[in-house]
Amino acid sequence: MKYLFVALLGLLIGAGLAGTALYYNPFTVHTGAAPATGDRVLRYSLPDQVLTAAVGEDALLAGRSTGVEGLWEDTIDRTAVIGLVLTDEAGQPAAIASRLMAASPSTDLLLTGVVVNDYWLVTVPGQGTLFVRSDSNVWPFLKETLLPVWLFDRPWRGPAEYRPTVGPNAGNTGSVLGVAGVFEGKTGSAVERYDVTAFGATQNSTSAVGELFLHLPEQQVAQQ
Amino acid sequence: MRALFLLGIVLGFGGTLAAAHWVPWISHHRLPSQTTVVANGGRAEQFLIHLPADRIAATDGKTGGLRSTGADRAMLLPAKFDAEPLLVEHYKVRDSTGQVVGIAARHWANGDHGMTATWSLLVPARGSIVLRAPGEKSGVLDAALQRAGYSPGAAWEGKLELALAQGGAVAGGTGDFAGLSGSYTETWKVTGVDASGAMRGTIELYTVTRIQ
Repeated sequence: MKYLFVALLGLLIGAGLAGTALYYNPFTVHTGAAPATGDRVLRYSLPDQVLTAAVGEDALLAGRSTGVEGLWEDTIDRTAVIGLVLTDEAGQPAAIASRLMAASPSTDLLLTGVVVNDYWLVTVPGQGTLFVRSDSNVWPFLKETLLPVWLFDRPWRGPAEYRPTVGPNAGNTGSVLGVAGVFEGKTGSAVERYDVTAFGATQNSTSAVGELFLHLPEQQVAQQ
Repeated sequence: MRALFLLGIVLGFGGTLAAAHWVPWISHHRLPSQTTVVANGGRAEQFLIHLPADRIAATDGKTGGLRSTGADRAMLLPAKFDAEPLLVEHYKVRDSTGQVVGIAARHWANGDHGMTATWSLLVPARGSIVLRAPGEKSGVLDAALQRAGYSPGAAWEGKLELALAQGGAVAGGTGDFAGLSGSYTETWKVTGVDASGAMRGTIELYTVTRIQ
């Protein structure tokens, strides 16, 4: 009995040490690529420019409810769908985006972080529609912002900038596919960057400003 | 005793790291794919959307007609887009057996050469597929319902079948849908409209794809 207790104590301490090592693991906090000069920028701000949000029941972090009806079915309970207004560099509404998100099976708590597959359908009225696929590592945001405040009740130390895009393209960029209009047939890359400007214990006290950088060939055509 | 304690620490440490790396922390529930083989090659798959149960939200623009006003949750467009021919709809998506398998967004908007309709369907366990087609005329569904006897503000029951996209194409995909090309049709089968404008019926997306 004594031997069993000692072995179990050792296992628990070892697991605790590993948990600490994972929390401070440098492999999972790498950030995405910096946007290139000349990329087309579409901006959003949260919560002002959120048109709608529906979140899967198992995607709710730290058990928090979003206050809207969730996606409860087994097949979609780790997904989210968000409607956003995107503005141009002058701050004028320029596009509407539907952002379909799903927790990624490529999540690896040791080497890659907590990965979310992000699928944007972006329509620029009068121009056309783009499909953007990106893999976003949300672990830095969870570790530095969400978990300390929501789970450990610590004061938020912000503002904080995040560049979550880590794929699927080489160079930590997402992929862009022109679906319709002037964009049809074009392909390119994308990166996202966002600043959390306020974060509190309730969702109403959270705000962020994000940017989606689109790099397409013949950029000047898309910007007309 | 000391050796056992140290061995426990090593095993606990290594086991936890191994679990962090190898345990599939995220695994989406997957239902069998309801695909059928097409006689002249390729595979066919039908996705269904039941109205009103599967409607998540729709934009409130003037051009959306019943598809905007009948939504439980409206997406309030900025004033700049209010008069634009623009309709964004979010849905849950079912397979041909009626099981919910994914979520979807439909964008209907003016492109550089006329209206376009695009779908992004996400089936978490399989990937995503993007569809595009020439967009329907503004208010086509409302007009068809009125021809079938529907009066705005009044309840209606009947049967209306309307093809919104013929000759649509598969524009891209990821995961199981990567590398596929093909076509799709979009058919709205409306069986009723209540007094508030909420439609009952089914949207059918019928895809025929083959590996490029």
